[in-house]
Amino acid sequence: METIANDFTINIATANGTGSQSANLILLQSLFEMGVPVSGKNMFPSNISGLPTWYIVRLSDLGYQAPGNRTHIQVLLNPATWDEDLESLEPGSVVIWNENAKMEMTRDDVVSYPIPMSALARKINPKIAKLVTNIIYVGVLAEMLGIDQAELEAAVAKQFKGKTSAIELNITALGLGRDYFKDNHTKNDPYVVEKRKIKKPQFFIEGNEAVALGCLFGGVQLLAWYPITPSSSLAEGIINYIPQLRTDDDGNTTCAVVQAEDELAAAGMVLGAGWAGGRGMTATSGPGISLMQEFIGLGYFAEIPSVFWDVNRVGPSTGLPTRTQQSDITMLYEGSHGDTQHIVLMPGTVEECFEFGWRAFDYAERFQTPIFGLSDLDLGMNRWACEGFEYPDQDMDRGKVVRDRDVFEAFEEFGRYLDVDGDGIPYRTLPGSGMDPILYRGTGHNSKGVYSEKPDDYYELMQRLKRKIDGARDILPAPILREETECEIGIIYLGSMENTIQEIDDILEATGIKVSQCRVRALPMHSEVENFISRHEMTIVLEINRDGQLYGILRKELPNSLITKVRSVAYSDGLPPRAGIYAERILETLKEEVE
Amino acid sequence: MSDTPKRPARAIKLNVLNEPKESYTGGKSSLCPGCGHDQISSVIINAAWENGIEPHRVAKMSGIGCSSKTPAYYLGQSHGFNTVHGRMPSVTTGAYTINKDLLYIGVSGDGDSASIGIGQLIHAIRRNMDMVYIIENNGVYGLTKGQYSATADIGSKKKKGTPNTTQPIDLCALAINLGCTFVARSFSGSKKQLGSLIKAAMSHKGFALIDVISPCVTFNNNDESMRSYGYVKENEITLHMTDYIPHFNPVEEIDVPEGHYRDITLHDGSTIRLETISAEHDPESPVAALTALHNAESDKKHVTGLLYFDNTKPSLAEDLGLVDVPLVDVPDNVLRPGKEMLDKINAALHN
Repeated sequence: METIANDFTINIATANGTGSQSANLILLQSLFEMGVPVSGKNMFPSNISGLPTWYIVRLSDLGYQAPGNRTHIQVLLNPATWDEDLESLEPGSVVIWNENAKMEMTRDDVVSYPIPMSALARKINPKIAKLVTNIIYVGVLAEMLGIDQAELEAAVAKQFKGKTSAIELNITALGLGRDYFKDNHTKNDPYVVEKRKIKKPQFFIEGNEAVALGCLFGGVQLLAWYPITPSSSLAEGIINYIPQLRTDDDGNTTCAVVQAEDELAAAGMVLGAGWAGGRGMTATSGPGISLMQEFIGLGYFAEIPSVFWDVNRVGPSTGLPTRTQQSDITMLYEGSHGDTQHIVLMPGTVEECFEFGWRAFDYAERFQTPIFGLSDLDLGMNRWACEGFEYPDQDMDRGKVVRDRDVFEAFEEFGRYLDVDGDGIPYRTLPGSGMDPILYRGTGHNSKGVYSEKPDDYYELMQRLKRKIDGARDILPAPILREETECEIGIIYLGSMENTIQEIDDILEATGIKVSQCRVRALPMHSEVENFISRHEMTIVLEINRDGQLYGILRKELPNSLITKVRSVAYSDGLPPRAGIYAERILETLKEEVE
Repeated sequence: MSDTPKRPARAIKLNVLNEPKESYTGGKSSLCPGCGHDQISSVIINAAWENGIEPHRVAKMSGIGCSSKTPAYYLGQSHGFNTVHGRMPSVTTGAYTINKDLLYIGVSGDGDSASIGIGQLIHAIRRNMDMVYIIENNGVYGLTKGQYSATADIGSKKKKGTPNTTQPIDLCALAINLGCTFVARSFSGSKKQLGSLIKAAMSHKGFALIDVISPCVTFNNNDESMRSYGYVKENEITLHMTDYIPHFNPVEEIDVPEGHYRDITLHDGSTIRLETISAEHDPESPVAALTALHNAESDKKHVTGLLYFDNTKPSLAEDLGLVDVPLVDVPDNVLRPGKEMLDKINAALHN
């Protein structure tokens, strides 16, 4: 039989809360340590215990990180999804199944490896058999695929740092799984794992943890948050690193953490911090941003530096709380009532999560306005390979704050909202400084900050705010371009789609279509995006939502002559993007053009 | 040069910082003439001046409503933030974490504090954040032209419409039940009592709530209203006479009352002296305070004075475990860990 090395997808079906996550991470980590390009995705339910969970491990020498279009190896433990999982398999797939689950193997066109997982687990410790069952299937997979025992044991040690008894127990269970497969089955499938040499030292990290580290290196002084999936691990990441990074020898910290009573209060605290001259932030998801709208408008209008991280989940309403989507783009860009426009940073890699984590504060203080970081569940809660984080290449930008009386006196005229430099960004003084104070307000105001309903004052203020945010376009992170020489078709995309784009590109290329790529990394969009569109005959905007939100923003902002060159391909079913689905829709769109 | 003889300058009264009272005033009020809120503003001005507070070390916070407009009318040398409806406590909390050394004076109304913002008020009390929280409580919404608020008393009737039949929320009782560390009620017409209470609240470390009945002359000052000037004057039960003795004044200068009195020492060393009028009120007993409130409510009276006081609880700054220097003054190179620290993190993640 011809072997298939490092190019297949494993789907592990368990129930939530049974402890399968640590077993899955051990599998992932050991593959990673063998140098196999691998990605893991946790499809978990909004539930503490009992509902179905799938963990998808994709091995791909081509570096594809999306879940893949089909399952090659199915691990079956969950009776609740048993039949459905079996039915969806293509003939020839491998099924490793728990013989003790009181379920039948109903397919005869698959490679079947029954394993008495529960019975083996009970042998080790009947009290925690449920937990141990998970590590048994990792042992089975290791034997069947040829995963190094040394790498497995190293991964176990990493997972259970220092807990000797847990390490021993897991290694014993791995051995039982391995031995059972060796003694009772003959390998009858083509799938194998082969060691690869990785070019650069890498580690695995979740996007949320990367943002958390970035924020701490950005000098965050207040984290005000309200727990919400999938952003809680971002806030908890900050909390976990504070003792190491931001606490002095006496145990006192330079980063306050307040768990707020709700998202409204969290947003209010962030604004209060910015008003007082500090670096405040919150981490939330779409429903939280919905609740924060009022304060977002105040932050824009009263010009308060503030940072909001949105880890996008599936909406509308409570939606699918544990699934991924790119559907908060419009809400962030045009958040709150009235005419508004906000700066949105959209990282696509864990390295960018870190970088935008610290940059967000610089932009907030530079532009004196709310800054949004837009991540999503896929990027935020799954583990991604990282080459290491780079230290900020510039000092903290504290913006136009007058801290010195001499500087203050040198102003010919001082007004909190006076556009002295012509860039729309005024100067501010801080409470407690003794410099000219104002009463900040969300009501209309003149350039001195005094209440005003005068038409000229309102008009000028709104024009200046527009000018200020527009001025950020080419200062914010520029798009990442990968261009073909022919420049026929361009694809604009954002965020975590980065992990699927190469596979989409390869599928399209296999049909003879060469596309250029432009990954937008910030709103308002850089002028390079418009140039990219004008260089290409047609550009498709690819995003993980129903309505084509980024496409909508482009249509609003592009010159009329370019609007006709842009098409939308938007799709979302809650799951991380699978390349085949998007490639197919791109092809359909192109076909429509020809017809 | 003019040869008009100069008038001799009149001696200007200065406070302990050598500041005239003008350093504490604000802009011209746009509220209705006779509004209770303007009386409170002038008491705030006096209290800050007499307490010798540096004006620029005050942060004036408010929400939305008639009351929340007043920060424009006092302490013109202080920064302020007129935030959004009911949400001043959260903005103050954020500012406080960054600069815990400012004196936060929040002004709110009964719409702000008893309805839309009641959740934020409750949680600010729960955290025992250091601030003076004044509720200018008139039982009606003024800016939207006279709807009942959630503090309107049962049987009270505003200028237009039918009497209120819905159970009011007593914000003092609520605060006491939440463990608020300084709870007082007063009346905008009782300038001396209110002045002592506000000064004492400024000296308190923790959340100090003062619920001030402040009649709305336009929508709720008619005879059938239980929050009119006339009604409150006739139906006020004063728990005690209040005197404030600042820490920078020797106590001997203050007349010692003839009857019973009790001195409470505040965090900055100042004292509030409570002189017994009839029965003695124990401000350290939440049960006594709640009894006084319930009795007054059933008699359709308003009880005023320092209802409850507790100086044993840590304030929010202590709870947060912050460094001594206010975070706003922490230098950038301390806020951002060094490169060696990131190298360490990268290495740790790799292993």
